[in-house]
Amino acid sequence: MTHRLLISLLLGAVALLGTAVVASAHGENAQEGFLRMETVTFSNVNFSKDTIKQGEDLTITGKATLLDTWPKTLGEPSTGFVNITAPGPVMLMKDRLVNGMSAPDAIFVKKGNSYDFKLTLTGREPGRWHVHPTFAVEGAGTLIGPGQWITVLDAGGFTNNLTLLNGQSVNLETYGVGQMSIFQWLGFGLGMAWMLYWTVPAIGGANHRTVSKLPVTLRIPLNTDGQDIGLITKRDHRVSNLLLLGTVALLVVGWVYQSVSFPIKIPQQVFRFTPPDLPAAPQLAQVITRDASFDPQTSTLVMNVDVTNTSKAPITLKGFTTSSLTFVDQAAAGTGAEHVMVISPQGTIAAGETKTLNLTLRDPVWRDTRMIEVNRPRIEVAGQLLFQDASGTESQTTVASSVNPKLI
Amino acid sequence: MAATAQAISAAEAERQELRGLLHKQYRWLDYKFDIVFWITAAFVVGAAADITKLLFAGDWDFWTDWKDRQWWPIISPFAFIIIPSALQYIQWLAWRFPTGATYTAVCMFLCSWVGRVFQWQGFVSYPLAFVWPATIIPAGIFLDWMLLKTKSFVLTSILGSMVWTLVFWTSNYMTLAPYLQPTQFMGHILTVADVQGIQYLRSQTPEYLRLVENGTLRSFLEETQYVSLVFGATLTVAGYWIGQAIARWLAIWPIGRFMKQF
Repeated sequence: MTHRLLISLLLGAVALLGTAVVASAHGENAQEGFLRMETVTFSNVNFSKDTIKQGEDLTITGKATLLDTWPKTLGEPSTGFVNITAPGPVMLMKDRLVNGMSAPDAIFVKKGNSYDFKLTLTGREPGRWHVHPTFAVEGAGTLIGPGQWITVLDAGGFTNNLTLLNGQSVNLETYGVGQMSIFQWLGFGLGMAWMLYWTVPAIGGANHRTVSKLPVTLRIPLNTDGQDIGLITKRDHRVSNLLLLGTVALLVVGWVYQSVSFPIKIPQQVFRFTPPDLPAAPQLAQVITRDASFDPQTSTLVMNVDVTNTSKAPITLKGFTTSSLTFVDQAAAGTGAEHVMVISPQGTIAAGETKTLNLTLRDPVWRDTRMIEVNRPRIEVAGQLLFQDASGTESQTTVASSVNPKLI
Repeated sequence: MAATAQAISAAEAERQELRGLLHKQYRWLDYKFDIVFWITAAFVVGAAADITKLLFAGDWDFWTDWKDRQWWPIISPFAFIIIPSALQYIQWLAWRFPTGATYTAVCMFLCSWVGRVFQWQGFVSYPLAFVWPATIIPAGIFLDWMLLKTKSFVLTSILGSMVWTLVFWTSNYMTLAPYLQPTQFMGHILTVADVQGIQYLRSQTPEYLRLVENGTLRSFLEETQYVSLVFGATLTVAGYWIGQAIARWLAIWPIGRFMKQF
């Protein structure tokens, strides 16, 4: 019986360890799928490398679009921040461009706008890290883009050098730690001196025991120090004055030191701005979503859309992007495509023509990422359809629809 | 005349009795109790102070790019004084020790350093240069000294809280100073602290959450720092009395109830 119990516990522990794969994610699947789909889509996300050394750069490029389907419940988006999510500062952010502008801090954003981003990162901590670009929106939260595993190889150490305006080069990994430690631990020494004097009878005197005091202190007023009965003595006052003088001396020395050593200081800076709009993309098509259905058993989403070609040349539907997922036309997809969809009927849509397309997106990712779930208050799908004409011009059109789930 | 002499005599007799009680030797407890108390309570007091600090002023204490001249001197001294004030009342009431604030400061100092060095630097690899904790030990010594001299919680709350705020700023500004030096980064003039905040990724703390001086038309004579210090000192008086309330009604009052009952 005992053996069975032990084996069961062991198997249980192993089974728990098996869930560690899930823990490598960043909580993106915890956000409700319909909110992820209706808020931000990430497209053309590209990682320049999957392996770097410590101190070596990596760039992440892509585009994030704040959809017109932004839910009213989240409030109007006004401030956003492009960043990455990773297990701590395993990489350093060296540069961040949004629509071509350097963006050290947050940016002001608008619903319907797209933001091209280029993030330059430097490897810092050796290891294999899962990294995603993110787009955080104030009041809503952080939306997470497609991720990739990045390996940072040990290069024998890491320094993060920065040149100050005065020409001095400093290593941000350790800069200021020595001075900070000296001042703080000197202060700690004074604090300990104060405590030891007041609490150790061998140092402060026999009146510094605690156990004999309560019967005395309870019988005298609170606002007296009981000098006449020896609760607090003149010596106590003298020593306390001296320790206070020591504290004042530390503060004066520290203040003079910082004034002399760092004469030029400025307050922390805040640099938030509205990035320039991207060049207006031509609108090649208008789309009306007729209906959508979802089969949880097969994890299949089917959408029927009426597409009207509003351009002067034939266009083709190339793909569908929602949240961090991009589905490409199966007929044209290469072998490396991660997610595909079947478009029926195939072929181009002539200029001025309106055609009903049936899109079948059968992929376990709907279930795995909890993108469409039937136990939610809103069973919906939203995203952008990507059209292209013969000259290579691309256009994205936002679509949204409620979803009829196959429950029985 | 005889009544006065009798009263003096009674007072002297009481003093003698109290002196006797003060120097009474206890067979089993005596100083062993002190050692047990001061060491075991250190963990509780340090944790209580650290948690209170983190609840009210966590980000300001964690990151150099949050330690600004507008919000840091307002929020942090207020948050930091609550538990020191409570301990000051308890230790003064019970033992007439002006040690509550310093004791809390020392305990919290050790707790904070253990957390920052082992957890934040060792475990999640933020450099200590970015996540060093503020210290309140010099401010604690001032506050305890103020109580020793005034023997009044009202005066200590007013004068001591103001000095607390000023000393908090002074004692931590000297360690912040190197991080306020200007540098050029991403094409902008920023402080070293700003660069740390940008470079060392905080995935779930978007930059727009950073509550620091951002410019306002209401700036009083453009001297943000001094206005903040005065306002922070005023707010710290309130923080002091929150600590007093905790000590009087959550710590001492229940003990009185318990002792009366049994």
